[in-house]
Amino acid sequence: MSARLEARNLSRRFGGLLAVGGVDLDLEEGKLLGVIGPNGAGKSTLINLITGQLKPTTGTVHIAGKDFTGARPWRIAHAGVARTFQIVKPFRGMTVLDNVALAGLYGPRRLRRPAVARRAAVEVLDRVGLGGKAGLGPGELSVADARRLELAKALALQPRVLLLDEVLAGLRPAEIAPALDLIRALRDEGIALLMVEHLVHAIAAVSDEVLVLHHGQVLTRGPAAQVLADERVVEAYLGKRYAERIKKAVDDDVPA
Amino acid sequence: MNPRRQVIGWAVGLLVLLGAFGLQTQLYTGQVRTVSTVFMYVGLAAAWNLIGGYTGYACFGQVGFFGLGAYTTVVFMTHLGVSFWLTIVVAAVVAGLFAALVGFPLLRLKGHYFAVATLGVAEGLRELVLNTPAVTGGGAGITIPTVGHDAPTPWLGNDGFYVLFLVLAALVVAVGGYIAYSKGGFALRAIHQDEDAAAAMGVNTTRAKTLAFAGSAALTGAIGAAYAFQQVTIFPERLFDVNITVLMVVMVVLGGSGTVAGPVIGAIVIAYASEWLRQHLTNAHTFVLGALIIVAVVLMPQGFVNYARDAVTERRWSLLDNVRRYRL
Amino acid sequence: MSQFLQATLYGLLQGCIFGLVAVGFSLVWGVMNVVNLAHGAFVLSGAYVAYELNDLVGLDPFLGMVPAALVLFAAGYLLQRGLVNLVVNAPIFITLLLTFGLELLVVNGLLLVFTADYRSIPTSYAADSLVLPGDVRLPYGRLIAAIAAVLLTLALSMFVRRTRTGVAILATGMDRGAARLMGISARHVYALTFGIAAALAGAAGAAVGAVTTFSPADAGRYTLFSFIAAVLGGLGNTYGALLGGLVLGLFQAWGGQLLPGTLVNAIAFGVLVVVLALRPQGLAGRAFYASRVEI
Repeated sequence: MSARLEARNLSRRFGGLLAVGGVDLDLEEGKLLGVIGPNGAGKSTLINLITGQLKPTTGTVHIAGKDFTGARPWRIAHAGVARTFQIVKPFRGMTVLDNVALAGLYGPRRLRRPAVARRAAVEVLDRVGLGGKAGLGPGELSVADARRLELAKALALQPRVLLLDEVLAGLRPAEIAPALDLIRALRDEGIALLMVEHLVHAIAAVSDEVLVLHHGQVLTRGPAAQVLADERVVEAYLGKRYAERIKKAVDDDVPA
Repeated sequence: MNPRRQVIGWAVGLLVLLGAFGLQTQLYTGQVRTVSTVFMYVGLAAAWNLIGGYTGYACFGQVGFFGLGAYTTVVFMTHLGVSFWLTIVVAAVVAGLFAALVGFPLLRLKGHYFAVATLGVAEGLRELVLNTPAVTGGGAGITIPTVGHDAPTPWLGNDGFYVLFLVLAALVVAVGGYIAYSKGGFALRAIHQDEDAAAAMGVNTTRAKTLAFAGSAALTGAIGAAYAFQQVTIFPERLFDVNITVLMVVMVVLGGSGTVAGPVIGAIVIAYASEWLRQHLTNAHTFVLGALIIVAVVLMPQGFVNYARDAVTERRWSLLDNVRRYRL
Repeated sequence: MSQFLQATLYGLLQGCIFGLVAVGFSLVWGVMNVVNLAHGAFVLSGAYVAYELNDLVGLDPFLGMVPAALVLFAAGYLLQRGLVNLVVNAPIFITLLLTFGLELLVVNGLLLVFTADYRSIPTSYAADSLVLPGDVRLPYGRLIAAIAAVLLTLALSMFVRRTRTGVAILATGMDRGAARLMGISARHVYALTFGIAAALAGAAGAAVGAVTTFSPADAGRYTLFSFIAAVLGGLGNTYGALLGGLVLGLFQAWGGQLLPGTLVNAIAFGVLVVVLALRPQGLAGRAFYASRVEI
């Protein structure tokens, strides 16, 4: 089965800084690709390159076989690709309901009337667990609810590909489990998912494959268990000294 | 918004319109001209509100479209003998197309940059008019023939212009009212509040902004055309006066930026205040106007309509709260 | 050829004054994101302070730059602290309207007191010129004004980069919330910045009074030139504003040779629009002010 979204040799320079270098990835329907890496590794930049917020310096992005490299964000949205933002971007002057209804009006469904779009938005809000809060303003939401709103806005686009940027950040442990259930459900519906995350156990729990970014380049990729045990990955996160300490502890079978 | 409230809104608007028509019979000539000017500013403010209020792109060169519409009309009527009723449409189209054209580079700018760049465009238009005297009369002005068989359209008379400006104002306000609750209004509001998020949700922000900008410009150009015809003789200093833009912005902001009734209320209040000051304090009227603007901006930055709505629904009447909202 | 040289030198001298006027404007915009439409009015106020002092006690206008700067500093500090700080967090139309109202107030106040008559502050030496080979003339007045302008701009640049207070100003401009968490009083820093900008504008005004005629009606023009120079040079960049002023001065001087009168201003604006469209951070600026964090 060919991938729903293919990125090849994706790079982005900012002056002398190579933020993302030569990244290849495939997003297949019903599969979840986890993306991890230390801060500043280029994870959000990678998402921005795919979804049109930034133009790649080199490389290509294909969606369902068609070239969407450097396309404007709305064209990407119409092609069935949605994303969440790491720092949530709600429309502060609109209600929660209207925030989501916008997708019905301008997403692939292209509904004509705001009233119809609002009705459609109610279903999406129910799905993420914001059903009773449709009339609130985004400023009145808790952190968890704000993340739910961000997800609802993306889901309302009825995407075939969904890119999640640290969607679990700031959630309490009790809130993470239901969030992961929802993500698994989305994957089982056949959506192709990419999830940037720092929480190792979350990534391990839902990823079919994990990609590690370091200094903008792919350090390694593979099944979660293998990648997380890779000493280069430990070194990237914790630095050489700690990586060696851990390796020595594991080898000597002694607590570090 | 509740459909019933929308119907009430349109009903109120219609009543106000009928009232304005009726008002005409009660006024004498001097007042008719004054009220016509008020209607003109209502139209200008409501048009600016489309790009500045709904979309949040503060265009400080709006008078450029006003002057462009005016000079297009004058040129077509004087040199080509075209009827006013045709040229007002041409003026609107020209202004709209020009805005779409300059919008291409300019709408990529944000905030102050956009404001300054549009100001530059307006200044550039004025200079263009000043330096092409063969066509536009340059600094010496140009006159539309309004009597005799040179005149493509006879002058409408004070009463005629009263009706014309009233109809134009009603048209602009109606367009604003329609857009406010439509799909397009949703997009413009989203762009105003978070342009990147709107784009990520499928809004073609370039097209939406350009349409708002061009529409605002076209309506402003049409009003400029009417003004030119009313004045008969026009000069670039007046038609491209930056103070006209500033008055528009003050009216919209103090009335309530982004609302439908805001520009109307703001225009009426400020236009009357300005007239009253001009008549009673001739020498110092601009000075006092400046002071009033400062006081009003500090005490009611969200504009009257928003203030009134918050005050009634949440019982927040305190003006001092307004001051605390934006202070450092 | 010597006419071209004359125009070039003239443009540079004029450009130095534009630079001094623009530096404060650019700093205020870069640090506080406030576009002060009353900036030109401050320039004129400085000119009138120098004029009055010259009239009353015969003070040389170049010496008059000092009292003009002091008076305008006090006025600017109080205005920011008491008035502009009230709307700093508001959308930009609000601050634009506030400063516009201020402009109306100051300009009309000056008109009421001094009338719209053009005045100047004559000195015995300003009109004489230094004559260079090729019959190129540098009027002493303009030369002194230009040197003073450059010195003041350099002094400001060093102040902002090397002193504790100056660094506080830069820091507040980059991230107000972080600066406040470090113990910096943003209200005071903003007021200081605005005061400094007003002081420089006032000093420039005194210099202008010495070299040419002035009237309250010129205020808008100086604000406009500050816009252009500041944007050309990059916001908040003090050296850049001087550079922008020089470019503008040269442009006006050369343009005045080649094009009919007022068309030069239109083209200056055209250049501005093009620069904004292609390189919003200006010719010399860096883009970091675009990513400002406000708390």
